[in-house]
Amino acid sequence: MTAYTEEYRGLVAWTGGGEVTTAFRREVAALVGEGGLISEPAQLRTYECDGLTGYRVVPALVVLPATTEEAAAVVRLCARDRIPFVARGAGTGLSGGALPVADGVVIGLARMRSVLSVDVADQRAVVQPGVTNAGISAAVAQHDLYFAPDPSSQVVCTIGGNVAENSGGAHCLKYGFTTNHVLALTFVTPDGDVVTLGGDAPDQVGPDLRAVVLGSEGTLGIVTEVTVRLLRRPEAVRTLVADFPDAEAAGNAVSDIVAAGIVPAAVEMLDELAIQACEKAVQAGYTLGCQAALVVELDGVAVEVDEEFAQVQAICRRNGTTNLRVADDAQERARIWKGRKAAFAAMGRISPDYFVQDGVIPRTKLGSTLTRIREMSDAAGLRVANVFHAGDGNLHPLVLYNGAVAGEAERAEHLATAIVELCVEQGGSITGEHGVGSDKACSMTAMFGPDDLTVMARVRAAFDPQGICNPGKVLPTPRLCGERPGPYRPHPLEAAGLIERM
Amino acid sequence: MTHIDDTAVVERPATVAEAAELLRDSDGPLLFRGAGTKQGWAGRPVDPAVVVDTSGLSRVLSHEPADMTVAVGAGMPLRDLQELLREQGQWLALDPASEGSGATVGGLLATGDSGPRRLRYGALRDLVIGITVVLPDGIVARGGGKVIKNVAGYDLPKLLYGSLGTLGLVAEVVLRLHPVPSASGTAIVAVPADRATELALRLRASALEPAAVDWTDADGGTLAVRFEGTPAGVEGRRATALELLGAGAGWSTGPDEDAVWSRLADAERQAGEGSTVAAAGTRPSVTADVAHELEQAGAAAGVRTMLTSRPALGLHTARFDGDPEAVGLAVAAWRERVLALGGSVLLRDRPAAVDAHVDPLGPSPSSVGLLRSLARRLDPQGRCAPGRLGSWLPTPAPGEDLPRS
Ligand SMILES: Cc1cc2nc3c(=O)[nH]c(=O)nc-3n(C[C@H](O)[C@H](O)[C@H](O)COP(=O)(O)OP(=O)(O)OC[C@H]3O[C@@H](n4cnc5c(N)ncnc54)[C@H](O)[C@@H]3O)c2cc1C
Repeated sequence: MTAYTEEYRGLVAWTGGGEVTTAFRREVAALVGEGGLISEPAQLRTYECDGLTGYRVVPALVVLPATTEEAAAVVRLCARDRIPFVARGAGTGLSGGALPVADGVVIGLARMRSVLSVDVADQRAVVQPGVTNAGISAAVAQHDLYFAPDPSSQVVCTIGGNVAENSGGAHCLKYGFTTNHVLALTFVTPDGDVVTLGGDAPDQVGPDLRAVVLGSEGTLGIVTEVTVRLLRRPEAVRTLVADFPDAEAAGNAVSDIVAAGIVPAAVEMLDELAIQACEKAVQAGYTLGCQAALVVELDGVAVEVDEEFAQVQAICRRNGTTNLRVADDAQERARIWKGRKAAFAAMGRISPDYFVQDGVIPRTKLGSTLTRIREMSDAAGLRVANVFHAGDGNLHPLVLYNGAVAGEAERAEHLATAIVELCVEQGGSITGEHGVGSDKACSMTAMFGPDDLTVMARVRAAFDPQGICNPGKVLPTPRLCGERPGPYRPHPLEAAGLIERM
Repeated sequence: MTHIDDTAVVERPATVAEAAELLRDSDGPLLFRGAGTKQGWAGRPVDPAVVVDTSGLSRVLSHEPADMTVAVGAGMPLRDLQELLREQGQWLALDPASEGSGATVGGLLATGDSGPRRLRYGALRDLVIGITVVLPDGIVARGGGKVIKNVAGYDLPKLLYGSLGTLGLVAEVVLRLHPVPSASGTAIVAVPADRATELALRLRASALEPAAVDWTDADGGTLAVRFEGTPAGVEGRRATALELLGAGAGWSTGPDEDAVWSRLADAERQAGEGSTVAAAGTRPSVTADVAHELEQAGAAAGVRTMLTSRPALGLHTARFDGDPEAVGLAVAAWRERVLALGGSVLLRDRPAAVDAHVDPLGPSPSSVGLLRSLARRLDPQGRCAPGRLGSWLPTPAPGEDLPRS
């Protein structure tokens, strides 16, 4: 059986578009002003990739609209001339979603970064797409409110990017993902129409168009305003780190916590290699040599949190924990999280290069999958570090390698792909939060059949019949699949220590 | 299994493949039906050529208690599913009033129905993680997956949420489950709409984390606030909650508490024979205005009205009793004011005579063009419940495709 239907091939076929001419550039400049336009080759290069630095394409033009109307007007020009365009937030995406299209336009939303309104009584805020994730929480902190999704890139990544990727974070186990926290969007369709999706009410009448735009990775249109739901800060937060002799025991503890009817705010796991790396980097007090450390955080009503926290400790002991470290105050808790969040960036301390994966498995398959990954890593003669969201089975295996050794990058890439495929085999997913983008488009066929993809292509064509909105992302291009990304390099912001990877 | 209804052939496919074959090999308008509890919602579909009854697709396909996920056929009644899950101390965190009438999981997803505890757990759109849909051309598509965290591909499960049977047949659904809380307690206080709204907002702003906040205008107004968690956690919030609610507030647990909530569910569900029901959604803070506007619209038209609200969510269900023309006028007047408050009103069950006096859906949203192109791509001949979305999704002439927007 082939991976694609004829209909699918027809729907995703790119039949060629217009060109960014001098006249086009002048028209755009008239709309956004010279300040909103980037066409110097050196400057264009800053936009050639996102956080997946192995893929690079220099766009023909970068436009930075300042308003919804400007963004819509630019899109209308692109639609008129069939010029492909790619929306871009902070460019921290890890799947090449904001990778430019050659000869196309990048529409950067960075200039649209105002918090437009905060409705404290109704616990919501209206923000422009360029506002950072952390910026939203900062703007409402004085009211004891916060925006729940917490990707570890939150200081830099934008809400527009979060909406496009349906981003998660350590605390989405209990609180859900971006899609569960967005009430309405102002949206520019690929024709340049401005529409509202969602609204004041929890639901709108008819199919949930807002929900299909959430997580669509910039392929259905451009988000120019977001109404987010805000949550009240919980009364109590308790955090612990429990060491275990092996991943199996740690996994059993997680299962027992869940079986006890406890829904933790976060459950994270670090293995020996990950601990080693993060201790080298930030000395967060994790036990060197420990095979599997669990970070468990509970939050909510104080009485209840205290009660369940005692239960969690008992469960950890019952499963043979060798060390229980309880954070007594906010400072100690911050230290634990600092270690957890630094783990990725810290890989550089123990390996020159690495690939990061984002596969998901049913949580109960944790032990067996980790064992399989170890076997695969042994067979490949490459180290794999594991640091991940254990509560929801979202693995982030880090395949360590040395790009200077001939052939090692290819072997590492092979192993990384095999691990993702293993996740799908276990009944999981190729991506839990980083998105499909350019990177995993070809792996979509591992998870979805020809008819599934056809229906997704129909959805896309309904929004973007000309196929000009972020083409080549999410849905596999039959002609290209088989090509693979280059090796992972740290994101420039990460290298600068501005953000950490989770 | 096939049998002929008054007007249409009723088919009851036993497998997804059978459903696909049925849709592919049939012509004319289709009507998907679960328990049939909400066929009166929104616009009235034209007479179907085929009614697809999902009661043959009602099995548990897989239940992974330790992963807290379940996959079921769309025709599974929620009530039956809950009973099955309870054995494992789990539930689908959804408590719509129509559960008692046998509402099915697929129908609940397609109608976007929810209950009081949406406040704590979200709606079905937040709980659905995977779906199998059958489109009118017989194509079977899966979206989402079986794990709670997954961002691969477009979110088809949520796209079908609220689709009211207009895009395709929801055949299978994969759901995230929650543990049944070990304790629950409900505070009740008699208050009018203004005070109820104020209290609901204060509860939301507090650290009390209520699981549900419902208000009914019956007997001058009653507010019920539910707390869930561990026995100590619930008991620990009791005093603070009662103090916040003020003098006269009472507390109930056990059967008394169940009675409070089933009375509220009945108020929402049990419309009399000739009643008209309309649902509104707004920002939570305008709940009192919604209630006052309803009173006024009812009084002006000489129509009796009743309201149940979720003031912490901004969801309202209104009931109108009276002469159909007067009811139509009252609904239209109420809608106008709710629209002015930024909300929307959808007509649910009502006598046919009301339709002449009020549009079931109201003005089309700015996104109606996208809705039309989506329907055109997924259901080009407009076979899925044509008329359900009224003028938003015009019914194509026989043999024609849906018009482009
Ligand atoms: C160190 C590091 C740690 C990270 N940790 C996490 C994590 O914990 N959890 C997680 O989920 N992700 C994480 N990420 C990934 C990334 O930060 C998120 O995907 C983020 O949401 C991307 O936001 P951005 O503004 O950088 O978007 P970009 O990278 O600029 O764009 C991402 C996608 O969104 C589209 N897009 C951007 N803005 C818009 C818009 N306004 N309208 C329509 N489409 C738009 C783009 O076309 C692209 O497809 C991490 C990344 C890094 C580098």
